[in-house]
Amino acid sequence: MTKRMAIWATVFATCCIALAYLSAFIDGGTRWGVWCMVLGLATMVVALMALGVSRRGGGVGALAVPLAFTFVVLVGGFAAALLLPSETAGARVYLGLPLRAALVLYGVGLLPILVLPLSYALTFDAMTLSEEDLRRVQALGAAHAAKQGRAGH
Amino acid sequence: MAPAMWPLLQAGSLPPLAQPMIIGVALLYFAVVAAIGVWATRQTKSASDFFVAGQGIGLWTMAIAAMAATLSGFAFIGGPGLLYNVGLGAVFIILPIGVTGTLGAWTMAKRLRLLGEVRGLITVPDAIAARFQSRAARGLSAVAMLVAIVGYMATNILALGLVIDAIFGTGLTAGLWIGMAITLAYSVSGGILAGVYTDLFQGGVMALASILVFIYTIKVGGGPAGFAGTILPADAPFLAPWGKMTPLAALSFFFVFGIGSLGQPHVVHKFYMLRDPRKLKWYPMIMSAAIVISQLLFIGVGLAVKALVVRGELPPLARADDATPAFLLRFTPLLLSAIVFSGVAAAIMSTVNSFMSVGAAALTHDLPIAFGRKVGNELLWGRISTVAISLVATFVAGMSGTLVAFLGIFGWGLFASTLVPALAIGLNWTGATRAGAIASISTGLVVTLVFETLAFMKVFSFPAGVTATALALVSSLLVFFVVSWFTRHTAASTLSDDVRFVMEV
Repeated sequence: MTKRMAIWATVFATCCIALAYLSAFIDGGTRWGVWCMVLGLATMVVALMALGVSRRGGGVGALAVPLAFTFVVLVGGFAAALLLPSETAGARVYLGLPLRAALVLYGVGLLPILVLPLSYALTFDAMTLSEEDLRRVQALGAAHAAKQGRAGH
Repeated sequence: MAPAMWPLLQAGSLPPLAQPMIIGVALLYFAVVAAIGVWATRQTKSASDFFVAGQGIGLWTMAIAAMAATLSGFAFIGGPGLLYNVGLGAVFIILPIGVTGTLGAWTMAKRLRLLGEVRGLITVPDAIAARFQSRAARGLSAVAMLVAIVGYMATNILALGLVIDAIFGTGLTAGLWIGMAITLAYSVSGGILAGVYTDLFQGGVMALASILVFIYTIKVGGGPAGFAGTILPADAPFLAPWGKMTPLAALSFFFVFGIGSLGQPHVVHKFYMLRDPRKLKWYPMIMSAAIVISQLLFIGVGLAVKALVVRGELPPLARADDATPAFLLRFTPLLLSAIVFSGVAAAIMSTVNSFMSVGAAALTHDLPIAFGRKVGNELLWGRISTVAISLVATFVAGMSGTLVAFLGIFGWGLFASTLVPALAIGLNWTGATRAGAIASISTGLVVTLVFETLAFMKVFSFPAGVTATALALVSSLLVFFVVSWFTRHTAASTLSDDVRFVMEV
């Protein structure tokens, strides 16, 4: 079920991105085209992650939280950059950058790094690859090698 | 070709750097690389050693090698120059690093490594062939990779020639051949084993150089707030999130370099090499941290040079690519400049070496199998192929800069559009079909070839934000889904039991 949803979400995201590019051919670009790109990018990134995470018909479990967080950060960061007012000479700076740039650079660029790799590591044994999984894969590998060996004779 | 992506390539010459300190550090750097090559040659005894380091690489080595292969000289020269030119919008090229490390780990690292465990795979087309049970898909992906590799290698060899010419004053042509010969010497003898350990050393040099230069940029710029305080009154759009680009153009960078990174064979190929698949647990953390550190220079130098120009402490640059050399030579100690220029050579050589290995594997392993044959001595032919590909790429690099730049962009687009659907999605979706994979790889090839060539010949130009690479990637994704849906009744027949297990585990 999760895989199927992830695939449909990826298809939806691809269509959004295609629409965004098509919009660029209309009078040098449209506002809705940019929003299509924002939605498409965030959806594609998270949908592909969900596609990789889910296995054997299972869901994304506790990883739903970091995945949702990533979606919110991507959409929120880009939306803030589109909606907030432009920078002026006396604009206040945050960690060395005007607000919009800080939200994009530190929000979209750095926040996911603090969350995603840690989420990956903390759930690795339960949701990515356990010792038991690896043993079964190695057994399959041994069986395949033996079969190839027999075929070779 | 897409003009919006031209600045991503290093094609113009660098200012002369021939000073004893810089030459000395560069020679020391090349001596270390040579020593690693000699050691690796003694360890390389089989095709598996040559192409996947005998699946015996540790996590840190693999992650740093993947980082080094990911970053070319662009991160040190072209990137800061582009930022100086177009403002913060240039950062969208590296902005996806927040997600790509973990995205790559979830979608491909485990699947590729386990497929390697089950089937003894050594190449990216091996994985595509195993997944879709298709010699055509293997052959098409190998052809796409070979074409892309020659083009991509040519741009990197040209950049390496420029660096060597700037450091040693050899002239560009001699610089090209010297750079290629040094990289070839350790690649052809030590294969990927030499490659990953030189990558480890080179990645260390790149990270060290990046951190040190970043500290100097902060110091020279007047602290973190100094950049904004200087630049905002003079050129506020420079510090807008999109810089001087359109929002669509900046977001398009995120798409092409974020999603496209999943189809870079010289990086994903390294997953095969990891000794213990369970060590992947820490891969995203190490990879992401290493890339962030190595990109500090990109952002720091771009902002600092702009601030220095605004303050009148540096004359406006005649060429954007001069940003890093101009900053280093005027505002940092000579020893640090020397380390950075060696770091630039390191970044380029690590990328070239990875291409040599992946290209040689496509030529000696994948193409013969696609035609129903198998090369007898893959180690010997792997070495011969490495030489052949390198010679072709160096000849191409010696052609006009515009053509080389065209081939470089063409290469990135081909990797992304031909490999992302079949690999990143195909390895995770049992509903993908052989016809879908073949159609998407073909679409990526044709769309990239046609649009890039027409744009290069100036038959038409794309509107702002649209590139041939992006269109090819979107098209191949759509074709992959549509054809897989129409042929969904065949999906089960293209999956063997062991591959299905790896996809579901």
